[in-house]
Amino acid sequence: MQESLDAQPDDASLHFDMGVFLWDKGGEAKEPKEKAAEHFVISAKLNPKNGDAFKFLGHYYGCVARDTQRAIKCYQRAITLNPDDSDSGEALCDLLDEGGKESLEVAVCHEASERSPRAFWAFRRLGYLQVHRKKWTDAVQSLQHAIRGYPTCADLWEALGLAYQRLGRFTAALKSYGRAIELDHSLVFALVESGNISLTLAASKKGVDHFRLALEISPCCVSAHYGLAFGLLGFAKECINRGAYQWGASLLEEASEVARASAYVVKNISSIWKLHADIQLAYARCYPWNAEVQVLVSDKEAFKASILSWRKTCLLAARCARFSYQRALHLAPWQPNIYADIAVTSDLITSLENNYKQDSNARKLSEKMSMGALLLEGDNYEFWVALGYLSGHNALKQHALIRGLQLNVSLAIAWGYLGKLYRKEGEKILARQVFDRARSIDPGLALPWASMSAECHSRELAPVEAFESCLRAVQIMPLAEFQIGLTKLALRTGDLSSSQVYGAIKQAVQRSPQYPESHNLNGLVFEARKDYLSAAASYRFARHAIDISSQNFPNTQIRDVSINLARSLSKAGSAVDALQECEHLKKEGALDIEGLQVYAFSLWQHGENDLALSVARSLAASLSSMEKTSVATSICFICRLLYYICGLDAVTNNIVKMPKELFQSSEVSFVLSAIHALNGHNHLGSVVSSSRSFLTSHEEITRMHFLIALGKLVKNGSECCLGIQSGVAHLRKALHMYPSSNLMRNLLGYLLLSCKELNSCHLAVRCCKLDPPDLSNQEDLKSASDIHGAGSVSCYAIGNSNPKLTFPTCTKQCRTNPDSIRYLQKCLHQNPWNHNARYLLVLNFLQKAREEKFPHHLCVTINRLIFLALSNELHYKIEVSYQYQQFQLLLCASEISLQCGNRSTCITYAKKAAAIVLPDDYLFFAHLLLCRAHAMKGDLLNLQEEYTRCLELRTDCHIGWICLKLVESQYQLQINSNAIDLNFERSVKKGGNLWKMWMAVYNLVRGLISLQNRDLLSAEELMAQACSLADSESCLHLCHGAICMELGRQCHGSLFLSRAANSLSKVHEHSMIPLPLARILLAQAEGSLGSKEKWATNLRLEWYSWPPEQRPAELSFLIHLVARQLKAGSNSQSTVVFSTSPRRWVLQAIHINPSSMRYWRVLLKLLE
Amino acid sequence: MKLSGLKSVDNAHDESLWAVTWVPATATRSPLLLTGSLDETVKLWKSDDLVLDRTNTGHCLGVASVAAHPLGSIAASSSLDSFVRVFDVDSNATIATLEAPPSEVWQLKFDPKGSLLAVAGGSSASVKLWDTNTWELVATLSIPRPEGPKPTDRSSSKKFVLSVAWSPDGKRLACGSMDGTLSVFDVVRAKFIHHLEGHHMPVRSLAYSPYDPRLLFSASDDAHVHMYDADGGSLVQAMSGHASWVLSVDVSPDGAAVATGSSDKTVRLWDLSMRAAVQTMSNHTDQVWGVAFRPPGGSDVRGGRLVSVSDDKSIALYDYS
Repeated sequence: MQESLDAQPDDASLHFDMGVFLWDKGGEAKEPKEKAAEHFVISAKLNPKNGDAFKFLGHYYGCVARDTQRAIKCYQRAITLNPDDSDSGEALCDLLDEGGKESLEVAVCHEASERSPRAFWAFRRLGYLQVHRKKWTDAVQSLQHAIRGYPTCADLWEALGLAYQRLGRFTAALKSYGRAIELDHSLVFALVESGNISLTLAASKKGVDHFRLALEISPCCVSAHYGLAFGLLGFAKECINRGAYQWGASLLEEASEVARASAYVVKNISSIWKLHADIQLAYARCYPWNAEVQVLVSDKEAFKASILSWRKTCLLAARCARFSYQRALHLAPWQPNIYADIAVTSDLITSLENNYKQDSNARKLSEKMSMGALLLEGDNYEFWVALGYLSGHNALKQHALIRGLQLNVSLAIAWGYLGKLYRKEGEKILARQVFDRARSIDPGLALPWASMSAECHSRELAPVEAFESCLRAVQIMPLAEFQIGLTKLALRTGDLSSSQVYGAIKQAVQRSPQYPESHNLNGLVFEARKDYLSAAASYRFARHAIDISSQNFPNTQIRDVSINLARSLSKAGSAVDALQECEHLKKEGALDIEGLQVYAFSLWQHGENDLALSVARSLAASLSSMEKTSVATSICFICRLLYYICGLDAVTNNIVKMPKELFQSSEVSFVLSAIHALNGHNHLGSVVSSSRSFLTSHEEITRMHFLIALGKLVKNGSECCLGIQSGVAHLRKALHMYPSSNLMRNLLGYLLLSCKELNSCHLAVRCCKLDPPDLSNQEDLKSASDIHGAGSVSCYAIGNSNPKLTFPTCTKQCRTNPDSIRYLQKCLHQNPWNHNARYLLVLNFLQKAREEKFPHHLCVTINRLIFLALSNELHYKIEVSYQYQQFQLLLCASEISLQCGNRSTCITYAKKAAAIVLPDDYLFFAHLLLCRAHAMKGDLLNLQEEYTRCLELRTDCHIGWICLKLVESQYQLQINSNAIDLNFERSVKKGGNLWKMWMAVYNLVRGLISLQNRDLLSAEELMAQACSLADSESCLHLCHGAICMELGRQCHGSLFLSRAANSLSKVHEHSMIPLPLARILLAQAEGSLGSKEKWATNLRLEWYSWPPEQRPAELSFLIHLVARQLKAGSNSQSTVVFSTSPRRWVLQAIHINPSSMRYWRVLLKLLE
Repeated sequence: MKLSGLKSVDNAHDESLWAVTWVPATATRSPLLLTGSLDETVKLWKSDDLVLDRTNTGHCLGVASVAAHPLGSIAASSSLDSFVRVFDVDSNATIATLEAPPSEVWQLKFDPKGSLLAVAGGSSASVKLWDTNTWELVATLSIPRPEGPKPTDRSSSKKFVLSVAWSPDGKRLACGSMDGTLSVFDVVRAKFIHHLEGHHMPVRSLAYSPYDPRLLFSASDDAHVHMYDADGGSLVQAMSGHASWVLSVDVSPDGAAVATGSSDKTVRLWDLSMRAAVQTMSNHTDQVWGVAFRPPGGSDVRGGRLVSVSDDKSIALYDYS
């Protein structure tokens, strides 16, 4: 190298290479670097455009020769030549930085960045410098550019985040910080700032996470501690505002730990103390009272201790808060908000220390401290509001609030407090105006809503509206006062059992366990939810609270609590405890009307009837001095008690004796009506009718009609059966007046179902409105869904809208609800425990299966359903209705097994059914089924036995006898040939209006039996009788017609033919859907009688009576005759269907039934 | 010169100690120590043994400052609720209760002759002077506002007056405020003289040198102790060494040394001739809110005493020689 250098001493690049070689080789030694520098100087002189030479010279002057000025110049030269040279740039900037020449540095970077967009080093430097100089907008641009060059430089991202944050672009800042943290996990600053931004954006939870991460990296970072505590505080406040006190408290405990720790690390930062105080204050305000109910109920001292410890915790926290505030204030006494904070805390401490006695000194303290804040910052409206809130003098309050409003007229909270003040002073109109203004400014403020509910009297608000307003107040701000108020309003509106009220009062108890009122109301809420034991516990708490409080509660309140306690105890069934309470009250002479009722009731519960009666008597004695409402309840109570103890007659006598003025209310009217209904005589008629005039609302009136209808059932019924008709008649009339009452509709449906009238089941289904399953009222006697389910079972035709397998002739087919199976399934899906729905579903399915001739898949379904239904424990109950259901289910199971050919299980089920204890009326059917099963098996001996058993048992159900008759005739069991006929006639006589129908059916059966015995003439006779008995049944006419035709065919003359034509034409008059075969028979009859035209018309009509896929071959064949006729006569009224050629009809017939030679022959003839 | 620990009392109060002063000896008794604390009490201690003499209650919030009359019979304490309670030291009888608007009471000092009580007026940006015979407000020395009075001007809060000090002759009065400025007043004419500048953070404590009435020492949150020429209105010297806020300063009776207490939990003794800290006491475990040299006088006074009180609830007594 030296040689070539010697050869070409003017070659700049050789000098440069030599220099670089020497520079690199020399290591730390000074000499070779000096030599290298010489070479660089020569190279630079020879080629002044070589930037690298200047760079190395710069390195030399900077690091070796320590000549900063020269180094700077060399570097500057290098950068001018090559602005992308980051080494020179960085070195130059470092030198400038050391020299403190910041503006020069900025200028250099600026120049470089302007000259080359690839001078990323310059952008980076510039960005940092701009951040340092707080030129955020410029910095963002520079940093963004620099990031393109160094995309993985975490510092750049961090700086960019900071710049964004300062510009207020928080989301962008969060993203940048996030990228920085991704690149370098240890960036505490980025984490902390991310946390701060999250807190600014009110995402406390996220902020807390950031701070926790930051603390993992740097456990002593004060700002992270502060942020964590602050975030936890924010999070806790969110919880508390939602009413989650316990959660909030636990968060605050953690926050307090954090804040305290950091406060002790850096003692002299006022804001940390303030934060700690804020946390403690929030803790004091939210710490909930949690007690183990079981332990404290019986032990007053424990309750007291628990309350005291709760209050002590709150007080300690508040004191701690005040100490911390004072520390903060001591460090920064010029900060006005701390004065306000101390004022607020002092107020809280006062209220915690002594609830009722207002300590004037303490009052003054908070007032004074809030004035301190004002003195420091008189134009802050919030301090004015604070003063207005804390001050004890009304005039000062008003002044402060008005001052606050002068400073900021749209300060809703100030308007709110002002309203409160006016309200307290009795200026109601003014208060209302002020509250209205507050609400219109900020609907999210709780106070005006609460005020609205409190003013429901003067505003003429309905209690429901007041309740709604208060509910809103509670939702906005879960304050114990609001919550108690809400519960009180709920007491009036009847919303006590709603869960909003439940939650509210629970929270109220947590936050004000020392008030008896909150426990008392809690008890009432429990009672409304039918949890009487908890209610009793709450009342006991209320009494403890009264006992331990030094305040004097009015006697009425103590008495109310005791009576509540007694009542809930007696409702819970612990009559002894309730009695104890009552006797205690009695000793004090504090038993009022309600107390007497509870007393009498508990005595009755306890079995001391005489005493109960004597108490009731004393209650009756005080009737005259009572208010109107309590008179009503007392009379109801007395009547019911008398009824239970002494029976019906005694009550009636007593009622007759009582003065009529006492009966002037709707409740009494109900009780009287009920007694009147039970009473066979009409002693009470006038009393009852006069009391009914006090029913006012629709609801009450419809309920009364319900009761009257039930009463009519009892009154007009005989010993064994109810007077259903009269009930139905009454309900029909009432329903005409109140068509919207579902209560009455359902009862009417129920009654119609139970009455043995033609088509009443269809009527029943039609009069009940089917609600969507979830809306059906559970309290009715029978729900609409039950009635629909039962109604659809009771008609054989229902559920078959597509007549393929059967051709139902029921004329009253109910089209409104063809899909009861699906509806019942919906009910069952909604309430899988609704055994009634399952039972009805089984029956419906059975009906369906019967219609479809017991297809296998349906049988499987039904079996499963029955299995489920039978496994229900309800069937172990001994009530007849449940036993009957079980019986029915077993019969269904048996029937299905029979149909599936599984005879042994069939017999087992049927025997099980027969073993159930039920009236013989029902058991008959079990034995009937056994008959059938045995008959199928061919076990004639057992068949005989069961048959005799059936005859012994007897039934009032006509269909039973009819079935038995069929069995008898089929298996020739004529032991006692007349028995069934006699029995049937006997039951028909009992049956009422339907006897004609049943007789007709019976005649039909007998006719069929005659037919079986080839006795056509007697069969015809019986059928004719049947037809005359039930003229509207198309089936009967069809049968009669067919038999007549047969008789006519057997040459009994045209008499039968005309009878046949007569009957068959009636078939069409009475059936809703065309019955197949009827027309064809009619056509033949008419044809035989000589009317060719009628023959053709009827045949054509027959074509439409069949479902397309079931039309028999013979029909096509017959139509071919019609077609031929048409062709011959070329009738003008031909339709499209019948215009096809006769040959095609014959072909169609052959296609369906190729085995009939007749068709072939005709075809041949046609082809000829 | 040097400090040596004599005695310390842990848990002297239930909460942080914020104020301390010596009650000069009277004819019948030796000097007493008076401390005030966040726990709302003021306690009297017998010197050297630090035996608790009495606990005075009556304040509703923490006690921010205590002061003793030069004759030793009367003392005053002020609390955050802006009440000043003046009481008889021996009997604890309340002599007067001075009420100021809230946030308008901070540090208290009796004038050297004992005829006036100066109260640093906090947010009122003034020092209030109370006559100690009639207990009536006799003068309000206001710090003039930079640009005319504006009633709702927020800058008033920046002149929150934290500390006050009397010159040994009782003619001058200096006060320190939260923006770091000191103001010097002519008490006789009740006139503002000038500002002393140099600090840029709150000045929480001031002390004139008893030896040289022109010398004023100030302790500030900027971790410096300044020595001013109070009449000339110039900063003489700034002494650095504390790592955190300087909360309290006092000058030794001989005028040769200054003691300071600081947030860095130390007490430092500064030799004025060397103008540097000569000793650092680290016996406190928390920030030191008050230091006080025992004033000369009394019959059985042997040597110099310094006392310091701290957030760690303890009192420490040192021998100064």
